[in-house]
Amino acid sequence: MSATLDFHGARLSRRAFIGTGGALAVAVSLPVKSAAAAAPASLDAATPASWIELKADGTVTIRTGKCDFGQSSVNTAYRQIVAEELCVPLSAMTTVITGDTDRTPDGGGTFWLLGYVQNLRKVAAYMREAALELAAGKLGVDRKALSVKDGVISGGGKAISYADLVKGQDLKLTIPVEGELTSPMGLTVKGEPPMKPVSEYTIIGKPSANPMTRPKVSGEAVWVGDVKLPGMLHARAIHPATLGSKLVKAGKLDGAQFPGARLVTIGNLLAVVSPDEWEAVQAAQAVAAETRWSDWQGLPGHEGLADHLRSKADWTTFPSRNGAANKGEPEKVPAAREHKASYFLPYHKHAPISPMVTLADYRPDGSVTLHTLSQNPQHLRHMIAKMLSVGEDKVVVRTYPGSGHYGRSNGGSAGSEDEAVLLSRELGRPVRVQWMRADEMQWTTQSSCALADIAIKLDKDGRIAGYAAEHRVPPMQDDRLVGAILAGLPVIDSPAPVTKDLFQNGVNEMQDIWVYANVPAVREKAMSTWQIGEKESPIAVGLRDHSMRTPIQFQQNFPRELAMSEAAMLAGKDALQFRLDHVTEPRFKAIIEKLRAESGWDSRPSPAPGARASGQGVVKGRGMSIMLRDNGYWACAAHVAVTPETGEVKVERMTMVADVGIVINPLQLRRQIQAGCLMGVSQALHEEVSFDQSAITAADWASYPILTMAEAPEIKVVFETNLAAGNYGQGSESANALAGPAIAAAVLDATGKPVRRLPLRPEYVKEALA
Amino acid sequence: MTKIVVNGQQREVKASPDTPLLYVLRNELGVMGVKFGCGLAQCGACSVLLGDEEVRACVTPVAAVEGKPVTTVDGLPARWAEKKGLAPDPQRLHPVQQAWVDEQVPQCGICQFGMMIKVTELLEANPKPTDADIREALTSSGPSPHLCRCGSYAAILEGAHRAAKLMAEGGAA
Repeated sequence: MSATLDFHGARLSRRAFIGTGGALAVAVSLPVKSAAAAAPASLDAATPASWIELKADGTVTIRTGKCDFGQSSVNTAYRQIVAEELCVPLSAMTTVITGDTDRTPDGGGTFWLLGYVQNLRKVAAYMREAALELAAGKLGVDRKALSVKDGVISGGGKAISYADLVKGQDLKLTIPVEGELTSPMGLTVKGEPPMKPVSEYTIIGKPSANPMTRPKVSGEAVWVGDVKLPGMLHARAIHPATLGSKLVKAGKLDGAQFPGARLVTIGNLLAVVSPDEWEAVQAAQAVAAETRWSDWQGLPGHEGLADHLRSKADWTTFPSRNGAANKGEPEKVPAAREHKASYFLPYHKHAPISPMVTLADYRPDGSVTLHTLSQNPQHLRHMIAKMLSVGEDKVVVRTYPGSGHYGRSNGGSAGSEDEAVLLSRELGRPVRVQWMRADEMQWTTQSSCALADIAIKLDKDGRIAGYAAEHRVPPMQDDRLVGAILAGLPVIDSPAPVTKDLFQNGVNEMQDIWVYANVPAVREKAMSTWQIGEKESPIAVGLRDHSMRTPIQFQQNFPRELAMSEAAMLAGKDALQFRLDHVTEPRFKAIIEKLRAESGWDSRPSPAPGARASGQGVVKGRGMSIMLRDNGYWACAAHVAVTPETGEVKVERMTMVADVGIVINPLQLRRQIQAGCLMGVSQALHEEVSFDQSAITAADWASYPILTMAEAPEIKVVFETNLAAGNYGQGSESANALAGPAIAAAVLDATGKPVRRLPLRPEYVKEALA
Repeated sequence: MTKIVVNGQQREVKASPDTPLLYVLRNELGVMGVKFGCGLAQCGACSVLLGDEEVRACVTPVAAVEGKPVTTVDGLPARWAEKKGLAPDPQRLHPVQQAWVDEQVPQCGICQFGMMIKVTELLEANPKPTDADIREALTSSGPSPHLCRCGSYAAILEGAHRAAKLMAEGGAA
């Protein structure tokens, strides 16, 4: 071949023949501006590293800045998608390198994974095309006559494997890329290489086990908390008494009782370190008990939260957003009957089982390596560099398996990272900061609370004539490093209507896509405000928020779907048929009908025969919800038993039906949906972040209970691949959001009375039934 | 010096006798198949077997385990091999671990260390548990429910039944 070959916007070059080994590596071609900005301590843009390596032994390595926190997609779906596009067996995909800023090329966050995977898919397509071009030259066969199967290119009576093609050569494929590596969204692969037709898929759609499962259950996997370095110190943070307190006087560390421990104070950030972890724990407790913080009372308290959202919060500074499907004037539509109600959701915690932990190694040359868990390591790197006022080239983030935390770190930080860096810098030794349960509950972000007003007008035939909704939700994303805030060091902007920090824009969109296309007049409005207590807090903390699973859509879908069930009851119609009557999309019609069959839905209006809101014994009901997310169509049914006298709600079974388009891995998707649904049941039954005027009071699993195994309902999951839809859909996120409104609708059916809030704890249910 | 037995080995521990077993295992003995969850015996992530009984390593002082063998997830394969008189094989997992792989039980997996310990305790005492037995074991038989935030309870139920089957058949293939 000639020295270089250009095709589909990519460039293939052979730099040299090499003695042994050999590889076709995909390099990153960045525009000059970005190349300068993209930090050298990551992959040096001038010495491009690989997204994908086809090796001379026939194996393939892929690298992605995304991580895995349990849904396994980067280890399962990503391997399948690349293998499919490259036309190699899945068994050739031996290595997946994830999330280390110095070993992966792309950045971005661990969310929308099957959208982001288009990067690797395109790279694989570029690579396959490059290999075909190379083979045409080598075999002396016209390119058009060649095809690939199982890693072997053949045509014109000749054949050569990928492995033989790259053997002894150092080939570089250069592809077009745009974006900023350490921005929240990272890099995007450009160009339109030819993609393998969906009809030829042989690997996508097949069940495939997660290769990480065995090392995890055998105990061999190195988790984030397991990393050790020589000379490492164990640290415990002593966080302020309230979300607005400043340090008045640090407690004294008793050197006789804790001879190995040392107290470190950096602004309002206080910590105890020791070579002995148990000493650090005990000494930190002792110091904390003696430490004085300034008083602060700037929160409404969880019992006053709904009133605060209604009458005190400022909803005018942040521009509101209209729904994309708004049409007509629902307020002017005449109504035979009208359903009008307000709905409330409390704050939820991400509540990982294991609290956050980071080991940081700050070195004398001013560079630092973090061993941590993060869903956005490159943006964490950006924020750590900002905190230290150093170049991003000084910061490396290495990530490890850790406790799932459902979106909390998708902008980089989940907690502890910055504190470990600052303590390591202060002490000149590697420092491991392990948050305790209370730090994890009280000093992390929460999923936003919500207040919604819904008005549904019915015509004389019981069909919806007009739908109006106003959704009030605090901003969904605050990625600021809380340790840096306490230390008084630079952080990105706090959520605001206007900001240069992409993800910190606090304006809410209508995330819950309108699905009832038959409704003639629709007005949906999404509103936002400042984070509760942040402006009042002298240290700018307050109740920080962060996206969790279906962010904002969760908060908007619950009121919409419960209101739809109530409107159906008002219309005297079956809740399932009522929805069918108002959707037009055939994919929705199909899954709603499937839900009817698979859930054993008894078609009738609510309330259920025998429904009652008082008295002894159990009443039963069923409810449903639907959602459109990432071109995936979802329907959910819940069957519950309610004891009106006590307000106790037992979820007996859940049915989830989905059309997510092309299913990559049915084995993993089934597990994702089951688990996501059960997390949703947990939120629906139990979860509310309690707080007083000063601090979060939910500090452990007793004060923030979640679902137990005994309470877990039976779950039925039904889906089929839909090749015609042409896209890869999402897994557990939607399942998580659908449970709440379906369960609440089932309580409505069982009792005849709505409970327009979560959680459905006995005291709240009893109050609503009274 | 405290003398304890961990995963079949005699170990001498320098840490003060009040140190929770969790920190001793992880920091002094390098036994990492036990994880920190809450430090309050509320979640079960740190469960180990003390003899045949599940205990929470985060609140158990190391001095309290003298005289009784400790088994962590790392030691489950050897525990099974010893019970069945099998020759050591580094590839062989305990049937509970194998079932967890076969059924792809974990999501993030941090709670599964304790889940597998608790299910091992259950199946050694009750080889043919019902759904209710499994739910009861993982909810109300110990100091607290074994919590899974990812919501893998449906998978755990399937995993526990598969483990029971594997154990009845004599172990993993």
